[in-house]
Amino acid sequence: MPALRAAVEQVSKKMGRTQALKRVDASFAAGQVHGIIGPNGAGKTTLMRLLAGLLHPDTGSVSYFQGNQLVSAEAAKRVTGYFPQEPSLYPDLTCEEHLEFFRDLYDLPQADFIRRSEELLQATGMTPFKDRPAGKLSGGMYKKLGLMCVLLNRPQLLLLDEPTVGVDPVSRQELWDLVYSFAGENMTVILSTSYMDEAGRCACVHVLSGGEMLASGAPQEVTARFGVHDFSEIFLNHAAN
Amino acid sequence: MQQIDPVIRVKDLVVSFGDFRAVDGVSFDVQRGEIFGFLGANGAGKTTTIRTICGILNPSSGTVEVDGKDVSSSTAVLKPRIGYMSQKFTLYPDLTVRENLHFAGSLYAMSPQAIAQRSHKLMEFIGLREDLPDPVSHLSGGVKQMAALASSLLHDPELVFLDEPTAGTSPQTRASFWALIRRLAQLGKTIFVTTHYMDEAEYCGRIALMERGKIVAMGTPGELKKEFFPVKPLELSFTKPVEQPLRAALEKAGIASAVFGARLRVRAPDRAAFEQAAAPFRDGFLARETEPTLEDVFLQAVSGRKAV
Amino acid sequence: MTFSWRRARSVALKEYKHILRDPFTLLVTLVLPLVFVGFFGFVIDLDYKHMRVYVRDNDQTSVSRRFLQEAASSGYFDLHPVHGQFQLDQALERNDSPALLVIRPGFGRHIRAGDAEHPGEVQLLADGTDNVQASIMGSYMQGVVQKANAVFARDNPALADAAGAGDRIRSRFLFNPELNSRWFIVPALSTIIIGFLAIVLTALTVAKEWENGSMELLLSTPVRPAEIVLGKLVPYFLLTFFDVLVVFVLAIYVFKIPFLGSFLFYVAACWVYITGALALGLVISVVTRQQQAAIQFAFAVGLLPSFIFSGFIFPIENMPAFFQYFTALFPQRWFLLISRTVFLSDAAPATLATALAAIGVFAGAMILLAVHKFKTDVEP
Repeated sequence: MPALRAAVEQVSKKMGRTQALKRVDASFAAGQVHGIIGPNGAGKTTLMRLLAGLLHPDTGSVSYFQGNQLVSAEAAKRVTGYFPQEPSLYPDLTCEEHLEFFRDLYDLPQADFIRRSEELLQATGMTPFKDRPAGKLSGGMYKKLGLMCVLLNRPQLLLLDEPTVGVDPVSRQELWDLVYSFAGENMTVILSTSYMDEAGRCACVHVLSGGEMLASGAPQEVTARFGVHDFSEIFLNHAAN
Repeated sequence: MQQIDPVIRVKDLVVSFGDFRAVDGVSFDVQRGEIFGFLGANGAGKTTTIRTICGILNPSSGTVEVDGKDVSSSTAVLKPRIGYMSQKFTLYPDLTVRENLHFAGSLYAMSPQAIAQRSHKLMEFIGLREDLPDPVSHLSGGVKQMAALASSLLHDPELVFLDEPTAGTSPQTRASFWALIRRLAQLGKTIFVTTHYMDEAEYCGRIALMERGKIVAMGTPGELKKEFFPVKPLELSFTKPVEQPLRAALEKAGIASAVFGARLRVRAPDRAAFEQAAAPFRDGFLARETEPTLEDVFLQAVSGRKAV
Repeated sequence: MTFSWRRARSVALKEYKHILRDPFTLLVTLVLPLVFVGFFGFVIDLDYKHMRVYVRDNDQTSVSRRFLQEAASSGYFDLHPVHGQFQLDQALERNDSPALLVIRPGFGRHIRAGDAEHPGEVQLLADGTDNVQASIMGSYMQGVVQKANAVFARDNPALADAAGAGDRIRSRFLFNPELNSRWFIVPALSTIIIGFLAIVLTALTVAKEWENGSMELLLSTPVRPAEIVLGKLVPYFLLTFFDVLVVFVLAIYVFKIPFLGSFLFYVAACWVYITGALALGLVISVVTRQQQAAIQFAFAVGLLPSFIFSGFIFPIENMPAFFQYFTALFPQRWFLLISRTVFLSDAAPATLATALAAIGVFAGAMILLAVHKFKTDVEP
């Protein structure tokens, strides 16, 4: 199944009293690793939830494509995997029980499930912790478990909201490795981060500040366009203007 | 800088919660006027260490001295000399900045005049208006952070603990925050700061990297980079699609690499080994040396420790 | 996407694991019915027996003695004769007795004469500070008087007419001839336990998922509201039904309460009522999304109506007309009726059709509402 492309056009969204997104445009090319970069309050989570179909834009549109074929929001949701930033696993259920729960939610045949879960446990190095409850996992392992749950369904669009926040550098490296091993012709990955130094790890960055999309493109391209050294400077200059 | 004037002296500190050793044999000194950065993931033991130094947690074993006094036996004397900005609770959201400062000051039994005088001075120093009419919850993240800093500095402590003061804030907030921290250090305050932003740690005088209750590396950012990277890491860009096979070959040779968008970053302390593993793909990529980051240092420190 | 039994089952299975691993939920569901039954069955005994009554028999005839014998044999009264004013004053000063029974002089003579204008008179002076006991005592004494009337009428048929039709024993406690309050209370307890426990249990579950953050993840999967609702109902249904069985067994074997009606009908009614209560809890949970608010709501719509509007404490037929209709909105009222009727009478299930239909409509409406109100996005 080929990866999905997502396009956000002129999307505005108010959350309570704050204008979380202001006429945001972004295109997320299929098969790439996209990073939405911005500090807290930039609108990253709102944009992720819009892409996941959990929020609806006030104005503007979010659309999905497979090749050049438009895919309905409902159909896209079925092939989208989303792991939220906030803890969202069940602390009393073990890793294995989480996987089995998601197997049923995704209606996976047992044979596929065994193959995929073995593969995922192998890739994440989580096999020894299969029987550990999610509440007793470290930050990095917790994120890996969440990632495994949504990857079981082999999504064509994978949305990860701040997967690396509060995670130690080693686990963070492992998470990035995982993301790159799954992204490709069958999966588009969009993740958000508030670590400016992670921008360089993405194939394509989307710089979000105060609900506005400042720039999109390859990291080196974007820094060159702004004539800056690193991504922090973009935000500093933007704030100064 | 060795042992000139240590304000904090931690020796063989162990703090256990049940079976879990949150801090597992940690030793370090912090000098007066130093910005000491404490790095590590959530749960690495940073906050536990800070709480022990502040005297609100007792060590299971080992000693913690502040100004030559054992912390657990002289808490009352030391507390007024310590300022603490916690990562969770900072200010009451329904009070104004001024009300918050007055409350904080009254906890240290300061007179209303003293509080007014001191907060005037502080706000000038920080560059905030003293008489913001809004409750704290209506202020922007940056202003809130500055006001919280002011609150922890109100009683003029000599030793200031900042527990992830910049988590999730915007780059501009972080920049102005760090500018203030540097000025505080110049005034002779000792700053003990935790963060998990590796890029931020560059601002610290000295840093300690903590992982699973242990310090895995300590020194100035420059020292650490030199220590762990006598040979600089490489950044590869590709002219032919050899990235996948190259990565596989490097992994086989035990050389760590990480994908950075279209590029590959390789920590290759042993350049000869790298050249050997990469030889079959040599015409498919360009390599250039880059400066190591503290993140590279952390990864190298942890993987090195694991390998030994 | 169509309804998937597999997904509903997996939600149920997950919920079942939560229950097993959360000692608090399990403890509450297992201990609560025992506490309720113990409290209402043993501690609050609304039956007053062996009430101390001082007796001043100013008649001292065989007829008055016959009357006192009747009063003593009822078992409700412990009679202590007092002689003379001094003893009487002493007794009253001791303040240890709630009542004084005085038989007026000429009691025997009037009874024997059978003159309707001049009946034999007894006087009961009860301590009004405990008005419940005073009124109970009054009604028990009335019973004794009636019984004595009958005895005297049998002994002396000439008196039978004079006693008059108004003295007949009323048939109000036909199904509980012993006036045993336990018979009334214990069958009603399952109404209270379900009406409270079931609502609280489910009221917490969806709100917990919102607070835990897991709802966001759940909503990003193909799972549908109806599947979550069904999946959450089933485990708590079993748990609550288990409680009902516990109460049933205690009622029959510990309290020796007769079960005269159809057991199958009772079980069916339980199922419908439990489903309605659980679904109401889910509606609360789905709407509030916060555990604290949910629990407050659950108390308000679970505990209070169970006690107040069900007829458990205040009989429905004594309520003002408006409240009689108002209580009809609460399934607790209907199930209480079913429960008491099925325990204490062998009335045909058909007589309870309205009650069953009422709880059925309620259950259906709540399930639909829970599914309908279930949000499939995270919009505030």
